Amino acid sequence: MSYLSISNVSKIFGGVVAVEDFNLEVEKGEFISFLGPSGCGKTTTLRMIAGFELPTSGEVVLDSENITYKSPNERNVGMVFQSYALFPNMTVAQNIGFGLQVRKTPADEIQTTVKEMLGLIHLEKHAEKYPYQLSGGQQQRVALARALAINPRVLLLDEPLSALDAKIRVELRQEIRRIQQKMGITTIYVTHDQEEALSLSNRIVVMSQGRMEQVGTPSEIYNHPTTEFVASFVGQLNLLPVSEVDLKNGVCKLNGQLVRFDHSEPRQISDKPRLAIRPEEFQFGQAEGRNLIQGHVEVVMFLGAVVRLRVRIGEVLVSVDLFNERNMTLPRVGDEAVVNFPPHACWIM
Amino acid sequence: MVEAMKRSVFWSWFWMFIGTLYFILPLTSTFLFSLRAKKDVLSFLAYERIFSDINFWRTFTFSLIVGFFTILVSILLVVPTAYWIRLRLPKLRGMIEFLTMLPFVIPAIVLVFGLIRVFSGAPFFLTNTYAGTNVLLVAAYVVLALPYMFRSVDAGLGAIDVRSLTEAAQSLGASWPTILFKVIFPNLRVAILGGAFLTLATVIGEFTIATFLVGIKAFGPYMSLIGQNKTYEASSLTIISFLLTWSFMGLIQLFNRGKSDSALAGAH
Repeated sequence: MSYLSISNVSKIFGGVVAVEDFNLEVEKGEFISFLGPSGCGKTTTLRMIAGFELPTSGEVVLDSENITYKSPNERNVGMVFQSYALFPNMTVAQNIGFGLQVRKTPADEIQTTVKEMLGLIHLEKHAEKYPYQLSGGQQQRVALARALAINPRVLLLDEPLSALDAKIRVELRQEIRRIQQKMGITTIYVTHDQEEALSLSNRIVVMSQGRMEQVGTPSEIYNHPTTEFVASFVGQLNLLPVSEVDLKNGVCKLNGQLVRFDHSEPRQISDKPRLAIRPEEFQFGQAEGRNLIQGHVEVVMFLGAVVRLRVRIGEVLVSVDLFNERNMTLPRVGDEAVVNFPPHACWIM
Repeated sequence: MVEAMKRSVFWSWFWMFIGTLYFILPLTSTFLFSLRAKKDVLSFLAYERIFSDINFWRTFTFSLIVGFFTILVSILLVVPTAYWIRLRLPKLRGMIEFLTMLPFVIPAIVLVFGLIRVFSGAPFFLTNTYAGTNVLLVAAYVVLALPYMFRSVDAGLGAIDVRSLTEAAQSLGASWPTILFKVIFPNLRVAILGGAFLTLATVIGEFTIATFLVGIKAFGPYMSLIGQNKTYEASSLTIISFLLTWSFMGLIQLFNRGKSDSALAGAH
């Protein structure tokens, strides 16, 4: 049996299904992210693991112990909140030592752990400061140290970086991963930021409308999405209407132009079949053995590392991402464009 | 533009001057009158008489003790209630707020007659003993102080993220009493103090309920009695009670300033 097991868990709030039949097995030391848009049920699921919400059905088993109906203060689960939730009346050291003090740990042991935690988050000099004297990033580090000080069985993080600015977010994200790997602690991370989920996790659970859409490694989620939602939520995706789809031979027609696609994986297609392809799979110009389509450049956006184009092919607009090169000549609006892409990079939905 | 601004500043000062006169004039007159106890000389004789009156100290001490117990009971009643409403029953907040405002609407005389009617008979018989009457007095004052205490505490709770703090403490293993006494109460210190001072100011000067329950034992009826019989002493008592109330207000401001300074520091 796995370390953390969530079986058939559902949660209904006044007739509204927040989480539906959630099943997940987590191994010890794994870093799992719950990824999805607002209201998809990811935080509710996390709160059920923490004990702040009771499941309507199903069970949560942690380290062979059924904790479904255990109160939050008896679970030994660490939690980090989006709003930091540091106790304003306590210093940094007192905040970190609070959980140990509650457990009636001897004073010298608390002092040692607090010191160790302060070292881990590189805030040794701020031990006697109050939360309001720290920046947002520092406060969230303290919150992380406070959750880790009690040596929890699982660490739960509820959008911990959402309130921080972009630069601090990236720094702290690396910090979280470093600390998680160093301590080998099983971690569940809730986020709506795909970049965070992709860069941090061993596995990602993509959720939508209370349901699990797909569970997989970051690479599986990005490169082999199993549903249209996952494909469009994680990364950018072009969904181009096609006709005359031949699933057996992997060919279809896009605006009258013949296109070959990946037909190695069996897929269900809708009544209105569409060709799915990510913008970064395109290249400009002709190339042998690749699909070629012709159109006109309608929008050019220079984004630094990437140049994003919108190319009109008949009735549809296609997003094309080109990696920027120093000597690159940017296409102009109205230019005729021939773009190519490999057959294995696109699939039918 | 500059002319309009100048005009606006002039009128601001003008209305402020009128407002100040409205408050200061009667107070100054009362103060000057209180100094005329000795014929043709300004003196503090009325104050000396008041401070040497044993009944002044007896009634004042009694009201202070009643005030202390009123504050204690109010805190123990209001803080957990307001906290629980914020945490678990936010939909009830409007109704509770309305209920706590009732003492402003229901006259004190109605309240005290209601209390006497209910608690003087079986099975309570509270008005039969001094202790019982004192308990009833504290209970009545707790009701009277509800609007001040509840609003102060509720505003204090609104200023902190009650839910996250509670859940953070829970996840760290804290029980409900630990959360209340180590996390919630310390963060409501200023709000509780504000409510407590307002309660004390109300209790010290309250007349109607005190008269019907304990009579001259309390400071309010004592002030009224002095007002009826001793003119200069009555004025001096007015000034003393005014100073007391303003000292309480000053203390609230002092604590609030401390808090807003920290909040400002936190914003940087």
